[in-house]
Amino acid sequence: MQDSPTPPSIVSQPQPESSALLLQDENLWYKDAVMYQLHVRTFCDSNADGIGDFRGLTSKLDYLQELGINAIWVLPFYPSPLRDDGYDIADYTSVHPSYGTLQDFKDFLAAAHNRRIRVITEMVVNHTSDQHPWFQEARSSRENPKRDWYVWSDTDNRYQGVRIIFVDTEMSNWSWDPISKSYYWHRFFNHQPDLNYDNPAVREAMWKVMKFWLDIGVDGFRLDAVPYLIERDGTSCENLPETHEIIRDFRKRIDLAYPGKMLLAEANQWPADVRSYFGNGDEFHMAFHFPLMPRMFMAVKLEDRKPIIEILEQTPQIPENCQWCIFLRNHDELTLEMVTDIERDYMYDEYAVDKAMRINLGIRRRLAPMMENDRRRVELLTGMLLSMPGTPIIYYGDEIGMGDNVYLGDRNGVRTPMQWNGGWNAGFSAADPERLYSPLISNPVYGYQAINVDSQRRSAHSLLSWTKSVIQTRNAFRVFSRGSIEFLNPSNHRVLAYVRRLGEEKVLIVNNLSSSAQAVELNLQMYKRHIPIEMFGRNLFPRIGDLPYLLTLGPYQFYWFRLRRI
Amino acid sequence: MAEESFLADDFIRQLMSVGEVDLLVGIPSYNNASTIAQALHSVEESLRQNFVRERAVILNVDGGSGDETRQVFEQTSERREAGHKGLTSLRTIHRISCMYDRSPSQGVALRSVVAAADLLRARACAVISPATTNLTPSWIANLLRPVYREGLDFVAPLYVRSRFQGLLARDLLYPMSRAVFGQRIRELYSDEWGFSGRLASQCLEQDVWREEAVRTRPEAWMGILAGSTGLKCGQYFLGPKTVSPSATGPDIVDAIRQTVGNFFWCMETNQPYWMSRSNSPSVSTFGPEHELSADGIPPSQEKMFELFRSGVNELEPILASILTPDTHAQIKAIALSDRAKFRFAAELWVKTLYEFAASYHRAVLNRDHLVQALVPLYRGRVYSFLLEHANSSAEAMEAQSEILCQEFERQKPYLLERWTAKS
Amino acid sequence: MKEVIIQGLRQAYSNLVHMFAEFLPRLLVMLVIVLVGLVVAYLLKTTLRAVLHVTRLDRLSEEAGASRFLRMAALPSMTELLSRSLFWVTWCGFILIGISVLGVAGLQEQISRLFLLLPAIFVAILILFVGLVTANFLSRAALLAAVNAGYPSPKLLSWSIRFVIWALAVSMALEQVGVARQTVIAAFSIVFGAFMFGLAIAFGLGGKDLARDFLERSLGEKKREKYEEPQPL
Repeated sequence: MQDSPTPPSIVSQPQPESSALLLQDENLWYKDAVMYQLHVRTFCDSNADGIGDFRGLTSKLDYLQELGINAIWVLPFYPSPLRDDGYDIADYTSVHPSYGTLQDFKDFLAAAHNRRIRVITEMVVNHTSDQHPWFQEARSSRENPKRDWYVWSDTDNRYQGVRIIFVDTEMSNWSWDPISKSYYWHRFFNHQPDLNYDNPAVREAMWKVMKFWLDIGVDGFRLDAVPYLIERDGTSCENLPETHEIIRDFRKRIDLAYPGKMLLAEANQWPADVRSYFGNGDEFHMAFHFPLMPRMFMAVKLEDRKPIIEILEQTPQIPENCQWCIFLRNHDELTLEMVTDIERDYMYDEYAVDKAMRINLGIRRRLAPMMENDRRRVELLTGMLLSMPGTPIIYYGDEIGMGDNVYLGDRNGVRTPMQWNGGWNAGFSAADPERLYSPLISNPVYGYQAINVDSQRRSAHSLLSWTKSVIQTRNAFRVFSRGSIEFLNPSNHRVLAYVRRLGEEKVLIVNNLSSSAQAVELNLQMYKRHIPIEMFGRNLFPRIGDLPYLLTLGPYQFYWFRLRRI
Repeated sequence: MAEESFLADDFIRQLMSVGEVDLLVGIPSYNNASTIAQALHSVEESLRQNFVRERAVILNVDGGSGDETRQVFEQTSERREAGHKGLTSLRTIHRISCMYDRSPSQGVALRSVVAAADLLRARACAVISPATTNLTPSWIANLLRPVYREGLDFVAPLYVRSRFQGLLARDLLYPMSRAVFGQRIRELYSDEWGFSGRLASQCLEQDVWREEAVRTRPEAWMGILAGSTGLKCGQYFLGPKTVSPSATGPDIVDAIRQTVGNFFWCMETNQPYWMSRSNSPSVSTFGPEHELSADGIPPSQEKMFELFRSGVNELEPILASILTPDTHAQIKAIALSDRAKFRFAAELWVKTLYEFAASYHRAVLNRDHLVQALVPLYRGRVYSFLLEHANSSAEAMEAQSEILCQEFERQKPYLLERWTAKS
Repeated sequence: MKEVIIQGLRQAYSNLVHMFAEFLPRLLVMLVIVLVGLVVAYLLKTTLRAVLHVTRLDRLSEEAGASRFLRMAALPSMTELLSRSLFWVTWCGFILIGISVLGVAGLQEQISRLFLLLPAIFVAILILFVGLVTANFLSRAALLAAVNAGYPSPKLLSWSIRFVIWALAVSMALEQVGVARQTVIAAFSIVFGAFMFGLAIAFGLGGKDLARDFLERSLGEKKREKYEEPQPL
């Protein structure tokens, strides 16, 4: 092969330094955010009922501020029968009593804003709970004014061939309603009927819901299940053009009335298909990069950067005011929808040998157990998450290496109470342990006695302390959030190396994906005469010269270098 | 003083980048620009289909091609499937290439391949020829799988032959190697074969790479080494083989010099092993053990008989120094026989070959000259075979081949007697 | 007169004794030199024999075909021949040195001339040996190649090559030792030239059809009728 590695590939162009208006830069706050995802139920219980609430969450905002995150994404907290962990909403403009009151939420919001932490909430736009008054009305009779708010059919033959998303539990996308004697359409659980967005009234109703929360002061919404808003015969009923019209409409209204608020798309699609959700910068501000996530896990297991490079090479450019959202784990299963069959089998065999770990074409495990509690691998993946282009999201508990319980059913194994200390109920709640909404993780390896915030706070070398410092480093340099990325592709495929660049600021990231020590020669000709400064220890490394730059890395080790030319 | 290494720094650097692998496929090349891309794609396809999770590297060892073979190898892009959004294999399939600047030699190329296999700790390896135009992904898999999954150390190919093709292998090399080395490997001399990392390491340690026999026909030496050191051998049926028009293989003289010369040299260097063997157990065979197609027109024969006769006559002094007087007399007698009734009996043929082997051992004359002196006799034997089997079926030919094998085995004591005789 | 004779005899006897007295030490020295030479020659022979055994010169000689000629000439093996030659050359050298010490008039000059000739003789022998081996090897190679390629008259070709190389080797050897230099060179040139001339005529006349055929094929007017043998492998 060639002496020098393959030429660097530029995946994204640098975002221009926003210097003109502070307001304009403020409106792009989501590009610089480090997000923290949590469910209010899991975080902290203030009233000893065994369920986390907003008051409890408010009491832990100092912890989050100390961690260094600057945005919280709160999972659904609306009144709901809780048959899908709150994604089956029965009332869009209230707070589930278990979590507190609307005032509690407002207090939380204010406290968060005081700490310069923004709050994003869920907006489940595609469907409601079958207990929602809208559906109760719609099903009551065929003549009800809200009948047309949902998608009905006399037969279950419409929209043939459309895939079922929850394959483990649903047999069809249609369910029979015994009350109105007809079928209703649902892309998710049968108790979550899909709203009919062909009906302008539905759009208006949803806009009113958004307005409600925006007026209270939330900083943005994660719109759940957006690809499925519209149905048409003869299509996959996903990503249809009409869906984008709806989004553009919402976006226009938000930009007019609530500038600086953000819309985040949950569209589990290939990057090229997600691209359309950004529009021309007039649809979503952000979207999750779903296909990248399993490939990061795959790359570490394969000890080969190929899966990551391949998916990023086919990730299209997005408008300047948009941003990808990247993550390692979340409240759902680690989805394996956007991988090939071979890749899925590999992931199952490597990460979910026990079939109890698998659900719905995914893996319901947390980060640390998937990494076999190997601190080095956890750090490596976290480092990659925080250094790749996009806004990173940290799932609650992953910063201390929390474990999971795959035997809890559905995805509840990754939604166990936050472990604050080694004492009563892990410091989560004063209630009787039996009353907790979910059992704690209590095994000797991941149990709360071993893994908790308090004990990790005491050590400057704990995973928590490490995560804090790496977030701090990331926040100090805008190049991570706004910079371009250029892959170096050295001949050693076990090393993933790239340069982030924003104006004159350049950062070189080198990741060893392998379990053994590696040597790598990097083609840094373009940065000749620069001095690499390792960003955590701030030590100087040899100046870049004419020859390929040789680095050696320990197992799963990574470097962040600032490249300074003095 | 440190010894010179035959591995260039650039090659080592490439190996370093690849790291440990499970599979290694070597492609020795020399002026194969028109066919190497196809060979490369076949290998990659085979790895993608059959060894999805394995770490693999494809190594091209080029003998200084003048037609940019190496550049074609390096720059041919990986084929992407139409489905799966343009994603290719699960893992990186590495490609590395190196060049040696001596005259093109299969042995020199193989040395680089086994060195790479040893350094990268490859479990299973295969060597393929870019000149084979009908190389399919299944061929590569069939050479690798028995090594990687069944634990064999050496896998030779089996081809479909037409009735009158490959007579040197069928009438001399196979029966003789079966009798002498006790290995029932039909295609010991081939362009594609598989071997284990264990065998590769063993080969690398041998100090024989400068020997002409190893330079020209390393695969046979490798197979015999495997057998003689107790490693497991086998063969896999691949089907018919076609080569590019520019690579039809050596002519009869070169073929005999390479193969028979190599064989005698292997006998010379493995004496304790073959001299103590008395049987030939069958080896693991995947697919039909042999297949002769019924097609094939018998080639022209007259010239062959003339060459045999003139050879016996003109080379009389040389043959006299190689053969026993009795055998020499018999050959002279049949050279005088009528063309239409000519028969070079199996018994005489075997005796002749064994006497040649013994004379090679005693170096009664220059060894290469000795092997060349066999050419006219081989032609006579082929002429006799063609006369006898012009209208025979493939099955009848196979039966005859088995009889010949048994004759070789029956006369092995004679070989031992001649080998150990003083003159 | 009787006293003159007695005086003369006494003088002659005295001279003779004096001569012997002068000669004897030289004779002794000569004998010592010869004896030492014998020991040295023996040691050298033994050493060379051991070295040649290790380098397997006999095998090489066998392969080159030189051993056959040695056997035909009732000579011992190559190793033995060279070892013994070295022995005799060394001892002869010491003998000659010994003789020169004797101080016999006129003899020294001849001995020194002989010494000067020794290297040339040695080189000549070497040239003949190399010529012998080369001629044998190349003529056999040519014979085999011609037979296997089906060329006509392979023995003629083989013999021609052997003759040419032999002639060259003999000429070079004789020139080396300075024997009738001019005559040898002239004779070699004449014989070699005549031989080549003869070959040219023979090929020119006899091979004119072949030449025509070659030209026609080269200019593309005639297709080669190639003899197709079955694929051996």
